[in-house]
Amino acid sequence: MIDALATEALKTRRSRVPLVTAVVFTVAVLVGGLFMFILQDQERARSLGLIGTKAALVGGQADWPTYFSFLAQITAVGGIVVFGLVSVWLFGREFSQNTVKDLLALPTSRTSIVAAKFVVALVWCLALTFQLLVLGLLIGVALGLPGLSAEVLARGAAVIVATAVMTMLLTTPIAFASSVGRGYLPGFGVIIASVFCAQIVAALGYGRYFPWSVPALFSGLAGPDQVPTGVLGVVLVGATGAVATALWWRNADQDR
Amino acid sequence: MTSPVIDTRGLTKRYGDVVAVEDLSLTVAAGETYALLGLNGAGKMTTIRMLLGMVRPTSGSVHVLGTALGPGAHGLWSRVGYLVETPAAYPELTVRENLAVAARLRGVLPRSRVSEMIERLKLTAYADKRARTLSLGNAQRLGLAKALLHEPDLLILDEPANGLDPAGVAEIRDLLRELSRDQGVTVVLSSHILTEVARLATRIGVIHRGRLVRELEAADLNAFLNQRLCVSARDPESAERALTTAGFAPVRLDTGALVLTDARSVREPDAVATVLVAAGCPPTRLVVEQDDLETFFLREVES
Repeated sequence: MIDALATEALKTRRSRVPLVTAVVFTVAVLVGGLFMFILQDQERARSLGLIGTKAALVGGQADWPTYFSFLAQITAVGGIVVFGLVSVWLFGREFSQNTVKDLLALPTSRTSIVAAKFVVALVWCLALTFQLLVLGLLIGVALGLPGLSAEVLARGAAVIVATAVMTMLLTTPIAFASSVGRGYLPGFGVIIASVFCAQIVAALGYGRYFPWSVPALFSGLAGPDQVPTGVLGVVLVGATGAVATALWWRNADQDR
Repeated sequence: MTSPVIDTRGLTKRYGDVVAVEDLSLTVAAGETYALLGLNGAGKMTTIRMLLGMVRPTSGSVHVLGTALGPGAHGLWSRVGYLVETPAAYPELTVRENLAVAARLRGVLPRSRVSEMIERLKLTAYADKRARTLSLGNAQRLGLAKALLHEPDLLILDEPANGLDPAGVAEIRDLLRELSRDQGVTVVLSSHILTEVARLATRIGVIHRGRLVRELEAADLNAFLNQRLCVSARDPESAERALTTAGFAPVRLDTGALVLTDARSVREPDAVATVLVAAGCPPTRLVVEQDDLETFFLREVES
């Protein structure tokens, strides 16, 4: 398992994909900062040409709680795409680049290889979340947003991390699709389906029962009281995806 | 007798109605170099993948190095090296790093093994180049280096000469011979390059439409190859007449050449030459020819 982890880490370090995901998350945080900047003074934004002359943003006030909530929503929606990309790459690349056959008849079991990939995905996504938090804080401070207290910070960070973890759990079906579909495209398909269905079901009002809608609802409404059933669903989806992926690697015919 | 390195019983793989491999029973003893010879789609690849536990047989069993294959049997793979189909490597890693990855996954090996394999497979000039820049031939060398890294007792190679130039092919052949001779490594390889197989294998299994249609010792191969005497003369008609009169049974080809397939002509071409000289039409060409493996193979699979 240590050996499998070391090799997955090396492969990841050498790849450009971590950089790409970091850039995407950076841009996302910058957009969050930009919104706060606009909300701070919409006249100023209008004169700078950042928004149309007649447009007005309704998204709350330019303060830390709003900002944190915004970052959490970025984590939920951007997360499924970016964390999903991580899974698609970790699993799909072995099939797209035909390297999977070198992982199948080894003294290192296939299950440890799958587990190592999930661990790398977890660490990678946590690192992205940490980057989002730190960068978000810096931008918030630079903008001079009001209302920062230890309590607001702790709560904001907790919501973001919890949202991120839930989103990560939802990527295991993406890993499964990338494996069974032997490549990148099926994984991307599941990412798109995840985002699409999450929006639709949330719009219909059943979001809290639909695991893929839960992180976004949680990040936006942040109502711990209405989340438990949803969280259970998220954990179930995560576990099912991980176990299914491991079983598939262990048992399926590898004949392509 | 020691137990066989590979032992399959009634190995069958069906995909729906399509039978990829049928009732294949194969035994390979330690130290043998066994070649699976077959056309594309004959079932070589499915067989090799079943030997490596990558494909689960519909029925039948596989024992490799005395262990029955199954998901829990991964300990056995520390003694097996393999190369399946076109070689693949992580393009963003260097040759050295690719080997280091393989080494780690094969259990802890001394780091010197990586350098040793790089040298042995003449990859030194590319050791720190990324794998994506390798030519097909060098990628194949890297694949072989991965297969040999942990000094396996059994090597399973699918088309090992794939993509190599003639010098490379000869080199790999020598390497495999050396491993077999000096270290007693058992080699199972699949190929459709018949001359390659004849030079390397100690035993050959001809596989066709998923079945093992014939197994033979490489040493006996010649016995299976038909021989004939080919004769040319300036006046083929007179030559044919003279030979027929002398009791031979020449067949005249469109090219004018005469072909004699009886055992006596093949054994005593000088007698044929004497008859022709005496009849006043001396041969301009007289040669004993033998089926090439292609002909042999096509005859085997068509019968």
